[in-house]
Amino acid sequence: MARLNDDAQWIVLMGFMVSFALIFLGIVINQSTLVGQTTAESVLEFPKNDILDARSEILFASKLSSDNITLVQKDVSSLALSRKNAIVSFRVSNSTGGSAYAKTIEIHYNNGVTAYNETTNY
Amino acid sequence: MRNTGGQLFTIEGVAAGLIMLLTVYIVVGTTSLYTPGDTHISDMQLEQMGRDALHMMNIPNSSTVSAESTLQKVIKNNDTSQFSQTFLLFCNNKTGGATDTLKFSADYYYRTDATNTIHKVHFTESRTPTGSEHAMPVTEWVQVDNSFGGDMPADVDDRVQAILVEVLVWRD
Repeated sequence: MARLNDDAQWIVLMGFMVSFALIFLGIVINQSTLVGQTTAESVLEFPKNDILDARSEILFASKLSSDNITLVQKDVSSLALSRKNAIVSFRVSNSTGGSAYAKTIEIHYNNGVTAYNETTNY
Repeated sequence: MRNTGGQLFTIEGVAAGLIMLLTVYIVVGTTSLYTPGDTHISDMQLEQMGRDALHMMNIPNSSTVSAESTLQKVIKNNDTSQFSQTFLLFCNNKTGGATDTLKFSADYYYRTDATNTIHKVHFTESRTPTGSEHAMPVTEWVQVDNSFGGDMPADVDDRVQAILVEVLVWRD
């Protein structure tokens, strides 16, 4: 076997390091698609907009007369169950003595994954 | 006595090993190939856009109790052209240059109290969906007072009620 010339070992070694660095950067870029997907899916699955929307409708409805509130309660519950696959219920009652507010509103939202409960006053 | 004559061979061996491992990793990884269309990023943006447009339409112009929002008015008066015009304006306007190409199909759902049943009304659309669109549904609760002067379908109760507006939005 002819004698191996090992004069340029450092240059070859640097070449290897640069190529590995490039491959590593390629993998990082590759992962960015996956990161975007995970984020987008989490945002889509979390019913933030549904809760905000149901909440604003409930607060709006709480100013109606008590007969109308009962009807709107049924509207919201059955439409949310059939169209949004979520259980939405609320109750408007007079605040108990000593409270600075006239009405107490209880809001419940549950779509099987996310539950949201709130008691608020006005 | 050891010498350092084989260093380059050792490095080459290690490098070859790493390259083989990397090849296996990439080959296994290609069994699931993600393209931007699969990743729901555009879906998320589309849903947020539609939801924001609907919500803007459901905000009254003034803070007085009796003030009705655009959405309340168009549902109550069955004003489909006003809905179409406003929704597309909110969705498709851009800061400059050409407008966007979002299309929609809007329905709403209401409950009849006497029978406790849910009914659907096809409200309006900017293009009939063929079924192959990649559409996102966006919904908005609207409180409509149908007790006097409305132009809603005959079996809608004459009372204040919560109805659910559901709009399919897609990019043409």
